[in-house]
Formats: sequence, structure tokens, C-alpha cells
Amino acid sequence: MALLELKGVTKIYQQGKIEVPALRGIDLTVEAGEFTTVFGPSGSGKTTLLNMIGCLDKPSSGSINFSGKQLEDLDKKTLAIIRRHNVGFIFQSYNLIPVLTAYENVEFAIRLINENNKNEIKDRVMKILADVGLEGLEDRKPNELSGGQKQRVAIARALVKEPKLILADEPSANLDSKSSEEVLEVMVKMNKELGTTFIFSTHDPRVMDYAQRLIEIRDGLISKDQRRESKDVPN
Amino acid sequence: MGFITKLAFKNLSRHKLRTIVSVVAIAFSVMIVVFARGLIVGMIDSLSADHIQYNSGHIKIIDREYYEQERLLPLNYPVDGFDGQGLDEMITGLQGIKNVKMVIPRLKFGAMVSTGKELVTMSGWGVNPEQETTFTNIEDYLVEGRMVEPGQLEVVMGTVLLEKINCQVGDKVTILYNTAFSSPKAVTFRIVGRLESGLKLLNEFVFYLPLDQAQRLLDMDDQVTELLLVTSDQNIIPRVLPEVKELLAAQGTADRYLALGYKETSDLIPLMDIMKIIYNQIYFFLVFLSCIVVINTMIMIVKERTPEIGMMAAMGLENKEILQLFVIEGGIMGVFGSLLGAVLGSVLTSYLAEVGLDYTSAMSGMSADIIFNAIIYPVSSVGNTLFAFALGVIIVTLASIFPARKAARLEPTEAMRGI
Repeated sequence: MALLELKGVTKIYQQGKIEVPALRGIDLTVEAGEFTTVFGPSGSGKTTLLNMIGCLDKPSSGSINFSGKQLEDLDKKTLAIIRRHNVGFIFQSYNLIPVLTAYENVEFAIRLINENNKNEIKDRVMKILADVGLEGLEDRKPNELSGGQKQRVAIARALVKEPKLILADEPSANLDSKSSEEVLEVMVKMNKELGTTFIFSTHDPRVMDYAQRLIEIRDGLISKDQRRESKDVPN
Repeated sequence: MGFITKLAFKNLSRHKLRTIVSVVAIAFSVMIVVFARGLIVGMIDSLSADHIQYNSGHIKIIDREYYEQERLLPLNYPVDGFDGQGLDEMITGLQGIKNVKMVIPRLKFGAMVSTGKELVTMSGWGVNPEQETTFTNIEDYLVEGRMVEPGQLEVVMGTVLLEKINCQVGDKVTILYNTAFSSPKAVTFRIVGRLESGLKLLNEFVFYLPLDQAQRLLDMDDQVTELLLVTSDQNIIPRVLPEVKELLAAQGTADRYLALGYKETSDLIPLMDIMKIIYNQIYFFLVFLSCIVVINTMIMIVKERTPEIGMMAAMGLENKEILQLFVIEGGIMGVFGSLLGAVLGSVLTSYLAEVGLDYTSAMSGMSADIIFNAIIYPVSSVGNTLFAFALGVIIVTLASIFPARKAARLEPTEAMRGI
């Protein structure tokens, strides 16, 4: 069964009296475990599409089925609960909480779904931090980490609750080439090891190199949907 | 401690100076509430206590005609017992009422002393010295010499009155007065004590003499101008007063004598009770004023952290949890600010409760008829401190709901873009 199924999804924003269509009728199916990149020029509707998929926004028309649930019928609270358990986000500017350590930033995500078992939480946080290559840096605050390390914390935060889907909006935009490579390799590795579905929104060709599926969006419509062999990641 | 509470604590450390300014603003207002409330309670307590001790007792029995002309201190409307029974029987009857602990007779009259240049007017109080020292704090005010003794031609005067007549303790003074039959007389007394207090009445106008001497000199044997009833607790006065009135009625003297509770003989005490209610409202606004600093701080926090709020909402934090986070942040500032303010206010009030606040010069123009001690001792109490602390915490926490709601209502997609 598909993890995601979008049928005829449109999104129209109201700017004063003018209606601005961001999505014009998207049909898309994403299988569990896919490593997909959505690309396209600025204003093409990439971020809007990701917001719909990530239960952050509702479509103006059409339907979205996420893991068997029709999202367009759900209220804000239910959408929040779905996000809490099933969706991880990785942002361009990391969006880490500056007063928390790397450990606490990751702990925050899992505390939302598991308040009680402290030992289990600790084990999971330490493991995921080690998996993304941050062993020994758990006690550092974001301002004591490099850009690449911050993005790894963000990845660990998204992964720690073992969501069905991770959405990454321009995850490499603020990183240099080396850090970008490292971060992407971590995500590919996690995709392979945990089977987590990744969907990226990006302009970055380096990110596209790793994708198994490339979806191009233009003027709110899917103009290209291509599956292919991705760049391999060294073990 | 939940993770949201832990996060709220850590968030407050982001801009320490800003948090400290907010906490200090709350602390300052709570400190003022503790102090102002202590001062008001001190003023009311002092006003009530002085009025009860030097004017009315808990219940005052006087002749109805005397009540109308009390300022003139007339001697032709005395309290001289129930019809034909004498004063002692009346006192015994009043002491028989449950919860009446003491019946204090006073004989007040107008008098003068000539300094050679002018006549200084004053008020003589014939008193039972033992009862006065038991019931009032006159001994605390006795800064030199001693209290008068029964059977002696002795007087005790206030410092200012002694200055006016150019006398000191140990001197003799000739006092002019009219008897109950309006005959002018002059008698020489020895000054045996000097009083000094914040009460203008005692400092400048009153002299004490033994009741037996006053009755003899004024031709008022077995007569006084007022009887003061002291009950075991001033809160039971409303229960005791009807019994006193019943006794007066039963003895057929209800038409002649008045029995008045202490609040009925003071204009200021009921006014102060109203002021107490008004001040409680002022305290609320005072703390709310400091909340403006907190609200302002929190609006800035919400603005600065908008993308972060969006991120947290994206991670699945519900609106109520975001609201909770910001209300806890406001609450923490409220708790720390109020705690600091309550402690500082309590220390300040306790210190001033010892040394007192002297408003003598400010109250110098006030009439001596108003028994109001110019030295005010604020009252420091746990209840008052807890009230101010709770007021601070509750109002600041409630005030933080406004910016917290603003944060909770942000749409995650817009918040992440910093809109």
C-alpha cells in the first residue's frame, strides 16, 4: 500500500482580492521507503506541496491519503498528532532550539510521543546521535556546532521518533559542499537502514544525485516524474 | 518536571537582562503591595487601638445630652448610675454581662493654666490609674516620672503641654476649672510624669489626674462623664452591645444613656475600612502595571521565536502545549518576581514595624480631636506577604496568556517563514 496518495490536489492562496493558485491539481503516489526529490524553480509550488504532504496545510480541493487517513477531513489537533507520530521535518535553517543541547533538541521530539520511559528515551537519543556521527557532541549547544553538525542534529531530531515520512526543505542550502555531502550520506544511510521515506524539496543538484525519484514541479503542476538509480553511499 | 517546563526555564535564560528587568518590575510592585498593605493595616490597627484606648473603649456609655455637646466637655450630663442606685452598682451590673472584662470610668473636664502671659487651655482626665495602665499603653508613653496615684493632687502631662506652660516634672502647677455647679476654682497640683507619644491629644491637651481627686474637686462624687466597657475581644462587640442596651433598658435608663460601639464614635475607622477595600483594588492595578513589562517582554519573545514556534508546531506540538509553554515562562517570571518582592517587602515592612514611620510634622495641622498616632508602625504578617505573592503570581500568569495565545494561534507554515 502506498504511504501517500494525492488526487487532484489544488491550493489557492487569497492575496487581498486576488486568488493565487500554488498547486493546480497534483496527482502523486509515494511508496514507503522512497528517497524522492521534488525540484523546480522558486514559486513553482514545491514548499506548498511539502506542507500538504506534511499535514501542515490543507488543500483547497482534492484529497490526500496519508497512511490510510484522509487528511483533508481532519481538524488541526488531529493533524498535529499525525505530525507528532509520523512526520519528521528537516529545515534549511536547522531550526534547533538554541538553549537546548544537541541531546535535548533530539530528546524534545521523542518526549512528545513518549513522556515516561527515561532510560528508553536516553538509549534512543544516544543511538541516533551516534548514527548521524555526533557521538561525543551531545552536550554541545547549537552555537557550539558547525553548520553540518547542526543539520545532523536536525536529522537526528527528525529520525528519533522513527516516523514514516521525513520532509526536508532545502536541507543543504546553508551548507558547504563537504558538509552537504556528509549530511546527504547520513540521510541515505538512514533511508536504507530504517526504511524511512524521504521527500526533499531542493534546487541543489548534489541532493538530486542521491534521489531515486525526481519530481519536477512547474506552475503548480508535476511536469516530470522520473525514477532512477541513485548515487550510492559508501558504508 | 515536564519537558515543557524545563524548556520554559531554559528559554528565560536566552536574554538574561530582559528576564531580570521583568522579574525586577514584578518584584518592585509586589514589594510595594506588601509594604503598602502593611502600612494600611498598621494605620487601621493603630487608629482603632488608639481610638479604643483614649476615646471609646469597645463600648462607650454616655449621657445622650453629653453626646451632643461632647466637644464642650459639659459636667451637667454625667453618668451617675442607674436611677438611685449609684455608679458602683451600675459598674457591677455592666461587669455582669458576659464577655465584659472591664468597666473604666473617666471624668473629663475643661481647664486652663495661666503662664502669666496667656491662658493655656487643656482637658483634664480624671482616671483610675490602675485601670488606665492595664487597658491603655499610657505607661509606654510615660517618658519621665510616673503615673498619678489615687488620693494625691498629682497630674501627668504631655511634653508639648508642659512646654506651653513652662513647667517640668517635679514642678507645681495651678490649674483653673469650673465645678459642676459652674463655680470657678483653682487648685495646685504636682507634676509627677511627662508623656510623649505620636498622639497630639495626649502631647498637647490632656493632663491626667486621679479620678477621686477629679470627682472631689469638681463636686461630682460618684459621677463620671463616661464609662468605657472593655470586652474580651473586639470582634464580639456586635454580640455584647445589644446586651448592654438591654441592661440599660431594663434599668429604665435607655432614654438617658447611650451605648455606642467604638466604630460609632469614630468617623475615621469606617472610612479606613472603605479605604482598605479601595486599596485592595489599587494593589491589583499596581501589579497589573508591572505586568505590562512582562506582556511587552513576552510579545517580543513571541516575535523573535516565531520560526521556532512554527518548527515546534510542525513537530506536532498542539496549540494548547505552545500556550502552556509561554504561560509557564510568564508564570516562572511571576513566581520569581513575586517571591523576591514578597521577601524584600516583608524585610522592609518588618524593619519599619520596629522603627515606625514618623509623620508628626506632616500631621501637625491635624485637629487634636482626631486620635491618630503620627508614628505609624506597619504590620508585617505572613498572611499579607502570602497575599502579595499570590497576587503577583496570579496576575502575571494571567497577563502572559495574552501573548501566549498569540503564539499558540500562529499557523505553522506562516510561523516557519517568520510571518
